[in-house]
Amino acid sequence: MNLSNGARESAAAQAAVSVKNVSMRYDDFYAVRDASFDVPKGKFLTILGPSGSGKTTLLRLIAGFGKPTSGEIFIGGQPVSAVPPHKRVIGMVFQKLALFPHMTAAQNVAFPLKMRRHDARTIADQVERYLELVKLGGFGSRRIHEMSGGQQQRVAIARALVFEPDLLLLDEPLAALDVKLREEMQLEFRRIQKELGVTTINVTHDQREAMVVSDEVIVMNDGLIQQRANPVTAYRTPQNAFVANFIGVTNFLEGPATSVSGNEVAFRCAGHELSGISVGSGPEIKAGMSCSGAIRAEQIRVAAAPEKLADLTFRFTGEIIDAIFEGERMVYEVNVAELGGVSFRVFDHDPIGHTQFLPGERVLVGWNPKDMHVFGNNHSPN
Amino acid sequence: MIGSRSKTIVIWTFVAIALILLSAPTIVVLGASFTAGNMITFPPQGLSVKWYGAILGASDLRQAFIRSLIVSAICTVVSIPVGTLAGIALAKYKVRFEKAIQIYLLLPFTIPLIGSGIGMMLVFGNMGVLGQLWPVGIACCVINLPFMIWAVTASASNLNEDLELAAANCGAPPLQRFLYITLPAVLPGVITGSLLMFILALNEFLVSLLLVDARSVTLPVQIYNSIRSIITPDLAAISVVFIVCAGIAITLLDRLVGLDIFLKSK
Repeated sequence: MNLSNGARESAAAQAAVSVKNVSMRYDDFYAVRDASFDVPKGKFLTILGPSGSGKTTLLRLIAGFGKPTSGEIFIGGQPVSAVPPHKRVIGMVFQKLALFPHMTAAQNVAFPLKMRRHDARTIADQVERYLELVKLGGFGSRRIHEMSGGQQQRVAIARALVFEPDLLLLDEPLAALDVKLREEMQLEFRRIQKELGVTTINVTHDQREAMVVSDEVIVMNDGLIQQRANPVTAYRTPQNAFVANFIGVTNFLEGPATSVSGNEVAFRCAGHELSGISVGSGPEIKAGMSCSGAIRAEQIRVAAAPEKLADLTFRFTGEIIDAIFEGERMVYEVNVAELGGVSFRVFDHDPIGHTQFLPGERVLVGWNPKDMHVFGNNHSPN
Repeated sequence: MIGSRSKTIVIWTFVAIALILLSAPTIVVLGASFTAGNMITFPPQGLSVKWYGAILGASDLRQAFIRSLIVSAICTVVSIPVGTLAGIALAKYKVRFEKAIQIYLLLPFTIPLIGSGIGMMLVFGNMGVLGQLWPVGIACCVINLPFMIWAVTASASNLNEDLELAAANCGAPPLQRFLYITLPAVLPGVITGSLLMFILALNEFLVSLLLVDARSVTLPVQIYNSIRSIITPDLAAISVVFIVCAGIAITLLDRLVGLDIFLKSK
């Protein structure tokens, strides 16, 4: 961040939502600790984290269901702590949708407009438009319990958007859907968000969803923001071991750092010196510090003959423990004896050769230093 | 196969016995009311509807019936706001002394009716309002209120907590949230409870007996008074009218909210 103070303030003023040093404490327990971030207008931001990470608490604070213990939330540049939820112009899709069961789909969508005292004509037109938008034209008179899960999702989206809010909040609304429908709805969220240009904050524990739908991702754990980046950056250069572990499938090697020069570090594992490894954007590493080296499952290659891994810098021998066929790829669990018997997960996409190793086979695993990231262990989260 | 068949037979035998035992009094009364004779007997001696004509003509029975309806209406009208608010509060909010309040509200139900009846007789007697109908309605409401609260709590605790938050998010201030979202959602419970309260008040005998005087006898008390003199089939006929009233209430319940909700008390 090379912004001057003034530039940063004007950026915050343009932000649709600005969260400043927000903490939420229940007795001794911090659900959210000193969270600060801005969401620029029209962007799709996802807060990604495991359950209990504080992501939903943060979202509900933005919606106005509770007041932060400290800190302030700004919406459209205005502080909102004193504004009750019904006076904040925010659309929200709830985890369990929270559609009004005694109303039809159209009545549900009309409710926010009715509460805002629009005239009947406007309400009818607007409801019609938004039911069309979510591809439910003609379904308005259906009762909620007569609709499928996907249709109910769409009603909830229409209800959250019909009054044209400046901000849309999504509280894991896709968690309960089956995989196919979930993926379809993810793209649907993306389409509608792009079409309307509404600033959106999404909360999920599904890292795939975060990648698919978001312009930017905030990774949370234990009430703390771990990293904020666009999906590609978060995936390619995780800031700490938690992010590396939570997004994607990652293998870790433990050992002390032996030398540090600029952005490259060397560290020792089971008597092998692994050098030329990139340091992520995380905290500083010093020689002698205990470290974790992270390498993604798909960035490791597995082969029987050393020639096949000639282009890779690190090569170690191991033994296949388990081989799982997942259709488009093989997933191997490899015991790498040369690195002290550490167990590696390896994704092997081999669409042409269809090589398939069996448990017990001796193999070589290899990867390149640039794909590996080292994190200092005493700077782990918390 | 044989095992499951004999099981079926045993079960159906029990069902048949239970059905006969449950419906026998109704059938006897129903039959007796259509008798052509001058005594309550079963099976009836001949068929006629003359006793129904007789109760239409009997102004004391008719007036007692109207008084019972008034008492039931008072009881229901009072119990709806009280029971609905109490039920929602107990189901939804962390009320202080919740356990104590619950026990207190159920108390009238656990005290023998004769006890609470005498208590209320003393209270209303001191107030000098005995002989009017509204104290009877209030008394019926007090002793039966737990039913109302149960019915409302059952549908309120089924409420998705997010519904009110969703309404707030849609721009609804607190009162509108209650009127448009919470109330309709607990409406099945309120309807169930109201009809129950109505039937129970209509049938209430013991407490009524203690609170009425000659000017304000309700139907059950009137029937009881008549039995003490001569037992004529008009009592069977009026009992049938009673049963029909209860039947109408149950049918209404089924039409409005569905009996399954009531039976499962979900």
